[in-house]
Amino acid sequence: MGKANHHIYRPISRREMLGICKSGFGSLAFLSLFGSMPQSKAGEFKRLMQPIRHHIPKVKHVIFLYMDGGVSQVDSFDPKPRLDQENGEDPNKKFKVDDTQFGNVGKILKSPWKFRQYGECGMPVSELFPHIGSCADDIALIRSMVSDFPEHTNANYFLHTGSGIQGRPSMGAWVTYGLGSENQNLPGYVVLDGGLVPPGGLDNFNSGFLPASYQASILKASASPLANIQPQEESQALQDQKLALISRMDKSLIGNLGHADAVESAISNYELAYRMQSSVPELTEFSRESKETQKLYGLMSDDPYTRNYGAQCLLARRLVERGVRFIELTCPKVKADRWDQHSGLKDGHERNAHAVDQPIAGLIKDLKRRGLLDETLVVWTGEFGRTPFAQGTDGRDHNPSAFSMWMAGGGIKGGTIYGHTDDYGYRVVENKTTIHDIHATMLHLLGVDHERLTFHFGGRDVRLTDVHGHLIEGILT
Amino acid sequence: MKMSRIKVISLSLAFLMGSLLMNRCTESEDPSMPETVDFNFHIRPILVKNCYLCHGPDPSSRKSELRLDTFEGATGTGESGLAAIVPGRPGKSEVIRRIMHHNPDEVMPPPESKLTLSEREKRLIEKWIDDGAVWKPHWSFISPVEPTVPETSGTKQINNEIDAFVLKKIEENGLEPVGTAGKNTLIRRLSYLLTGLPPKVEEVKRFVADNTPDAYEKLVDYYLSSPHFGEHWARHWMDIVRYAETKGHEFDYQITGAWRYRDYLIRALNSDVPYDQLVREHLAGDLLTNPRWNKETGINESVLGTAFFALGEGTHSPVDIRKDEADRIDNMIDVTSKAFQALTVSCSRCHDHKFDPIPTSDYYAMYGVMESSRFSPRMANLTFQQTEDIREFQKTKEYIRKKLAANWIGKETDHTVETPATGQITAHHHGEESQVLGDFRGSGLDGWKSDGLAFGNHSALGEPIFDQKGEKITGLSEGKASSLILGAGIPGALRSPDFVIDHDFIGIRALGKNGTIRIIIDNFQLIQDPIYGALMKEVNSDTWHNYKIDVSKWKGRKAYVEILPGVFKKHEYNLPEGAFIEAAYVLVFDGAWREIPEPGEPEVPSLSGAIAGWAANKGSTEQIRLINQKITQGTLDARLPGIKELFTKREALEKSFEGAAYFIGMTDGFGINSPIFIRGSHQHVSEHRIPRAFLSALTFGDTTFQSPGSGREELTEAILNPKNPLTSRVMVNRIWHHLFGRGIVETVDNFGLQGKIPTHPALLDYLAIKFQREQWSIKNMIKYIVMSRTFQRRVVGDDDLQKKDPQNLWLAHYPIRRLQAESIRDAILAISGNLDPRMYGEPVPIYLTDFMTGPGRPAESGPPDGHGRRSIYIAVRRNFLSPMMLAFDRPIPFSTFGKRNVTNVPAQSLFLMNDPFVMQEAGSMAAEVVEQDLGFEERIQWIYMRALSRPASEKEVMHARNFVNQQAASYKISPDKALKEIKVWNDYCHAIFNLKEFIYLI
Repeated sequence: MGKANHHIYRPISRREMLGICKSGFGSLAFLSLFGSMPQSKAGEFKRLMQPIRHHIPKVKHVIFLYMDGGVSQVDSFDPKPRLDQENGEDPNKKFKVDDTQFGNVGKILKSPWKFRQYGECGMPVSELFPHIGSCADDIALIRSMVSDFPEHTNANYFLHTGSGIQGRPSMGAWVTYGLGSENQNLPGYVVLDGGLVPPGGLDNFNSGFLPASYQASILKASASPLANIQPQEESQALQDQKLALISRMDKSLIGNLGHADAVESAISNYELAYRMQSSVPELTEFSRESKETQKLYGLMSDDPYTRNYGAQCLLARRLVERGVRFIELTCPKVKADRWDQHSGLKDGHERNAHAVDQPIAGLIKDLKRRGLLDETLVVWTGEFGRTPFAQGTDGRDHNPSAFSMWMAGGGIKGGTIYGHTDDYGYRVVENKTTIHDIHATMLHLLGVDHERLTFHFGGRDVRLTDVHGHLIEGILT
Repeated sequence: MKMSRIKVISLSLAFLMGSLLMNRCTESEDPSMPETVDFNFHIRPILVKNCYLCHGPDPSSRKSELRLDTFEGATGTGESGLAAIVPGRPGKSEVIRRIMHHNPDEVMPPPESKLTLSEREKRLIEKWIDDGAVWKPHWSFISPVEPTVPETSGTKQINNEIDAFVLKKIEENGLEPVGTAGKNTLIRRLSYLLTGLPPKVEEVKRFVADNTPDAYEKLVDYYLSSPHFGEHWARHWMDIVRYAETKGHEFDYQITGAWRYRDYLIRALNSDVPYDQLVREHLAGDLLTNPRWNKETGINESVLGTAFFALGEGTHSPVDIRKDEADRIDNMIDVTSKAFQALTVSCSRCHDHKFDPIPTSDYYAMYGVMESSRFSPRMANLTFQQTEDIREFQKTKEYIRKKLAANWIGKETDHTVETPATGQITAHHHGEESQVLGDFRGSGLDGWKSDGLAFGNHSALGEPIFDQKGEKITGLSEGKASSLILGAGIPGALRSPDFVIDHDFIGIRALGKNGTIRIIIDNFQLIQDPIYGALMKEVNSDTWHNYKIDVSKWKGRKAYVEILPGVFKKHEYNLPEGAFIEAAYVLVFDGAWREIPEPGEPEVPSLSGAIAGWAANKGSTEQIRLINQKITQGTLDARLPGIKELFTKREALEKSFEGAAYFIGMTDGFGINSPIFIRGSHQHVSEHRIPRAFLSALTFGDTTFQSPGSGREELTEAILNPKNPLTSRVMVNRIWHHLFGRGIVETVDNFGLQGKIPTHPALLDYLAIKFQREQWSIKNMIKYIVMSRTFQRRVVGDDDLQKKDPQNLWLAHYPIRRLQAESIRDAILAISGNLDPRMYGEPVPIYLTDFMTGPGRPAESGPPDGHGRRSIYIAVRRNFLSPMMLAFDRPIPFSTFGKRNVTNVPAQSLFLMNDPFVMQEAGSMAAEVVEQDLGFEERIQWIYMRALSRPASEKEVMHARNFVNQQAASYKISPDKALKEIKVWNDYCHAIFNLKEFIYLI
């Protein structure tokens, strides 16, 4: 079992309902909770609940492509000719250099990659991402991202939970807390483990002070995608008989006790777990996909890491089709570090890019042709950017003062470039955009007002966006 | 806001509450209106929810200069010249006009707040004003006053006062209590709630057969005295102190000896250490003049309590360590204030608390206490005997000193006795380019703090130096700070006062073996590359060496120097055998190292003066040198029969420290008052500093802390002050919560204005006073509660009761409760016969599934069954928490969680259905079943007694029979062989672990 609870719509008891309302659930609800709730209670629940959404949503799902380690903006989406001109010069003579994590500030370092313009919008994208470049007209690029933290773990927690310290609920947990899932048999919040768990560990995907129900379920694109999903019995009949016995005994317990909400919910929970036993393994039956589709995602690639990430992307699409609300993909463990090239920038970034470029483009194209891109938000980002000057001679250190990220999908104005950095790509000079803004925008597209999605904890009504966050209007349709 | 400023009305809560809550029978007109509207229980909750964000204690967000959290604020005339509240005159009260208004521009709360008052709430406010608008401090800030035990109708059976208080509420709410649970239910309930384990079959049989009137009480005593009691209740407390054994963050480094704190808790709870003592030990266990020595092992227990401060998350290589310090201290304040006071003080980090009377200055008053405390490796097993041995050793040393001096003086011609020089160096050499931080070449430690045993309380000046065999003294030590005062391998540290870095380098002249020098900047301990590696130097040199540390990057930062024997490897402290460190002086400088001239003494000492000075322990450097000269020349004979004894004692002492174990606890630094961080930012601080103090709303007289150290002792005194209205209430409420699944105050960690109000305030006060009166005995309190009839009631699913009291607030029956995560796993082990009851010790490594990956992953996985040890002994690694524990709601260790969620998620079902561990344990149980020469029904009865502590019904036996036949058929086993077929019984036992009855207390 992963550090995962498989939150799915499930019956809830009257007591839980009260708990939900009490804890400041506000005006959001789990619509499909009704599905598995005894009829008598559904009415009661409805009365307790306010309208489902704050406004009409643009999207139903989020696919979060997390670029672990921090992609270099000046090598990917934010070309800076000045770096070519001043390559090898001392950055201290050009601008004020902040403290860096490794403190080993080298010379200004030009990008090893060329940029070319893509799509009708003419968005410049480097050689690292030719496939993603081909989707430029669907992408809204933000070049003016900033983070509060220059080191991985804090920055990861910040990106995932809106707070730099451990223990806060992840954005996926907030989203499922607010909206639940649309599938009776699958979790609402899924992390597809490509091989790299980011610094800070699985707590990046946890439910913090929200109930454990909202934790991510960690899935692997393998025959046994979820912990404990495979029955131990030799045959299904053996398990079925066992579950029948359990069910019989449990029902007779209820018979003796009278109403016992908690126990009744626990019983339904078994029924759900049982259904998951077939719905989850079915997810990874890629043989049902056409050869063309498999190729589109890079499943035929010679690069095992492209195949790995391609499988995650294809699985993400299949989850979207099945109504899963929030899906995050972690990076494959290529033969270099994560995107964290403190040295060997060229080799490391190329290996990482090669693993994800084709699968991501495949995902966008596949979603689009199936009409799913309109109801899905695809988010691509690292936790921070990298310095325009070298660390040592051939690496780049962390840079929280500027980085690039992009979104595509429903409600997103494709082909947009938003925000500016200085001539070196070192600092943001226009339309500074924070992680909180990303969260606010993400929730907005899902039909949720980030200021109203709250949970009472530690004496406060806490939000994903804390007391911050603004919509990034410039990238919205 | 100080209590004195509020109109304090000394009413007991019992009276205040009287019949206010949900009282329906006394109303004349409106059945929903209470007879008396009480500020605390009716009005304040409305104001907190709807008004305080803009009209509460925090001036930064206050609108129209109006505050409704104080009587003066609410009744004074505001900007408009109108009073918000005119007592007795709702018609004149602006509040009424505004809340009743229909115009969206006028109505309060304003529409954009999306808050609305219900009609009932409006009428409550109106009635309250009409009744005179009586204001009271928040209920939890009023000290408990012993309430009168209510009279109840004679027909109801009462075991103790708890029942009287509870029955009163049951009657008031028109409910009828249910009867007492059956014996099988009771023993299961007691066993799980007191020990976390299922009762043993023999225990069940014994209890069921025991018809004596005190059978139940005997059972209670039996479980309270079980060693498993401490294991279960320690885990409750571990949720409160965010217990973990690693620091999380990127690499999940170990917290040295964290598990020794877990063992400390278990021992303390088992021996029923009074709660006030536990509080004292947690907050200031390192500072107690009379620590608690373990009666069996003789170790100092008290100091272990301070480990709780260090159990938080730890960040290596933060770029901004001042912020890191602020975050770490914030977590310490958060946990300390929630754990002991159930107040959310950390809400006041950026602004005054929005609801509670906790201004930002309170937060920074507490911040200073934490800031002037220092984390330190501490010995986890220092025994009383060792302290005695040290005393003995020192005495012998004194004796030798006196005796030798006497011998020498007798041989001298010059009998004049001079006043010994003090040798203490006070004048520091100030200069632009260098400055002395500490010079130990005299007799003192130059104002540095000697922590632990190693350095004693003076320099080594005049300490005897033995020859190899320990037969004679070859000379006397010159002045230096030395960890060899008692011998090698003795733990302790020497730390400088805090200073601000204003030079490029710190220089330490030192020598030693496996010694360490660290520069601790902003209390930052996790020193390592890439940023901070240079701030730590290992000292391995048998001659004086100048250690130079570049601190130019940190100019302007607060720091102290730490010199200690022992080494840190991956942040784990270890003191190898023979380790020691000595330092001559410490300086800060720019450019090249500059020698610090020795503090010389102008006049040449006389030998007799030197000897007298040395004998009195006050010899100066020159005097000691003179004596040494004479010893070398043979003028003074440094042989004495006692020297060998002294030498032997030292060897024995050194040996006794070879088994020393360490943990990270607290030690005191030098008192620092913190400025306020404006809007929580350490980069914008107030000019004035806030004296260290306790919460101003709870002050008892003048409470500014005067201690030259951190002030943790004064903090302890304030928390344990008999007038503190929270400490006792908070703890009895926690105990109640664990026994009933819900506290009398449901929000066990928040007794502030946003917390729940107590359901049984009089009972809460009664228990709080009783707890204090009975020496804070946790076991007594538990016994008192479980002896009540209220605790022993049946569980029911009665529709009528559920309709009237869906949340079971009034306890007309005992609630249905799910077992906590640890109990589920422990019970599976106990019932399968695989529980290893060994207590204490190093954690069993966590079993790592394929889904548990990431940086800091241990090289090897632990065993899937945790070697059969109880869950409390399985490693708690922040980045590799047990998925099973998380699925069953063990909290993530980052803040105080006095109350766990109880969720219901498929991961729980999937664990019980499909996890190989559960299947295997069922297999062990099946093997035991099959081995026994029992008939079918007897087997089922055996399994039921073992797993569910009750006999199986006929119907259940029948279901079992059908199932066994079915499985046998599926396995193609003939029915007659099924009885001996382990597979079949494995399936049956596995099914038993999956019954709801197994994981619920029914």
